[in-house]
Amino acid sequence: MIFAGVLYLREARDRLQTFDQTLYNTSRIMAAGVENYVYEGQQRTDLENVPVLGSDTLPLSTDLTFARWYMADKQLLQFVGEIPPAQLDTPSGFQTQVIDQPQASAPVRLRQLTLPVYQRDRLIGYLQIAASLTSVEVPLQQLRLFLAVGTPLALGAIALTGWVLGGKAMQPIRQSYKQLQQFTADASHELRAPLAGILSHAQVGLMQPVDPQEQQQRLTIISQVAESMSFLISQLLFLARHQGKLLPDMLKSVDLVQIVQPLTAEYTLQVAQKQQTLRINIPQTSLYVQAEPELLRQAIANLLSNAHRYTSNHGTIELRLWQTHRWAIFQVKDNGVGIDAKDLPRIFDRFYRADQVRSRQTGGFGLGLAIARQIVEVHGGEITVQSSPNQGSTFEIKLPAQSMPG
Amino acid sequence: MKILLVEDDPIQLEPLKTALSKSGHGVDGVQDGDVAQRLISERHYDLLILDWMLPNVSGVQLCQHYRQLGKCSPVLFLTAKDTIYDKVTGLDVGADDYLIKPVNVMELLARVRALGRRSPLWQGDMLTLSDLELHLTTLTVKRQGQEIQLSGREFQLMEYFMRHSRQVLSRDQIEQALWEWDMEPESKAVTILIHRVRQRLQAVGAEDWLQTVYGMGYCLSSPGHPTEAAFV
Repeated sequence: MIFAGVLYLREARDRLQTFDQTLYNTSRIMAAGVENYVYEGQQRTDLENVPVLGSDTLPLSTDLTFARWYMADKQLLQFVGEIPPAQLDTPSGFQTQVIDQPQASAPVRLRQLTLPVYQRDRLIGYLQIAASLTSVEVPLQQLRLFLAVGTPLALGAIALTGWVLGGKAMQPIRQSYKQLQQFTADASHELRAPLAGILSHAQVGLMQPVDPQEQQQRLTIISQVAESMSFLISQLLFLARHQGKLLPDMLKSVDLVQIVQPLTAEYTLQVAQKQQTLRINIPQTSLYVQAEPELLRQAIANLLSNAHRYTSNHGTIELRLWQTHRWAIFQVKDNGVGIDAKDLPRIFDRFYRADQVRSRQTGGFGLGLAIARQIVEVHGGEITVQSSPNQGSTFEIKLPAQSMPG
Repeated sequence: MKILLVEDDPIQLEPLKTALSKSGHGVDGVQDGDVAQRLISERHYDLLILDWMLPNVSGVQLCQHYRQLGKCSPVLFLTAKDTIYDKVTGLDVGADDYLIKPVNVMELLARVRALGRRSPLWQGDMLTLSDLELHLTTLTVKRQGQEIQLSGREFQLMEYFMRHSRQVLSRDQIEQALWEWDMEPESKAVTILIHRVRQRLQAVGAEDWLQTVYGMGYCLSSPGHPTEAAFV
């Protein structure tokens, strides 16, 4: 706004200066036409050759409102335009006059120049001319209007742009805040539910009349729920602790084969409980990646646990580990219940359970895959899933391969 | 009171149901939102206790539906959703109380009693009909200085009749009020219960207060009441 004001003032001043300059030039041209001589002992002034005042009017570029010639004694000699005072009463130089004109709707502003004219260093008279300032005022009015409209518009545009850009910048922050809120809401619910179960069972067990057998049952339930709650808390803490990128000094060269082998040995025992068939396809040679071995173990274990849980008795689970030129890939494929297409995009979300009822019974909290994904991504890898309902699911972890242990 | 308890976690549902039953209430315990929706439309309850996070239909939707049906029994939310916003939403949608899990069972029972005092008029922890008193906390009947202890079902029957005193209640209504929604009592169960309650009322000299209205049902009213002349 200040800029606009300064701009306006400078423009006004420039225009006025130009105007005055033009007026002055005009006056000098006119003054040049004045002839002053001595005739019969008297000073005589001939204005015939003066533009406007004389009869030979030369065209002038400016429109003068009036022109007046005063003698050296300030007496009026000749004029064009409205009737002026008989005596010159204004000082030399520029002045602004406001004249009321009957035909104009508003008072007209005139710029008046009173020029003392010298011939050979002797004052011969005064030339007074005036021109209407409308030629200056109109453009200035337009400029004023332009600025009056333009400045708020510009300010508005800037504000709007700022607001939009600010909103865009806030987007990721708002997003992650919303995610955090959702996570704490879910975690709160998941923690309160088992706690409520424990408290209710304990208090009702103590209510009169006391039945030892009933108390026995309630205590068993309490201990089961407490254990499952402890498992949940471990998972939550894990998620909370391993949020950011892994520090480089936490990574080391790890042979994936050495991680997977012992896990499969344990797993073989587990799957036997449901008479599931396990097929393992692991290379004999080493497969190196930059990793934190404990975390990788956790991620792989989660996939194995899911396959075991969601595949029925006598089902088949296949494990494969292989390498392309860029990636080390670990795959778990089962022929279990599979995942619906509508659940597939959200299957890695925290607390997401495809089937609420069944997962709760089997002790699932919906965090296993979320943890696996967090681990894999923090290693710079990818985790993907393909699945058809009732046909099974295939989960794949890809990690950047290391060509040589480094 | 007849209570509908909606909670999808069986580990939490069972002890609460047991606690409420031990206090003399008839409890329909339901894990599924859809089933709950049906029950609140078809049956009468003196109190609803709702969890919020349910599969299919949420507790909030159940409460809204209940109020839209024009029913005015109190509703209590029992939920893990604990923010101020949740509490405000729950109460604004028509609930009378909002408790956050885990809840102390004694506190829950006290609040249930408190809500029971208000339906439909303030009644206190004791229901009265003329000089017959039914004490809700001790499950006893008292009249003219005599006091008798009632068993669970007997108490529920007396409570039901005293909350709807001087009204004729049909066999169906009595079954719905006293037995769980998915249980079918034997055909003579109500008759036998009425008979037993009349025997208990003998001890306080009020056995003919519980009258049979042939073809319609039963009615509890005191002898001084004008309608008694119509029935014998």
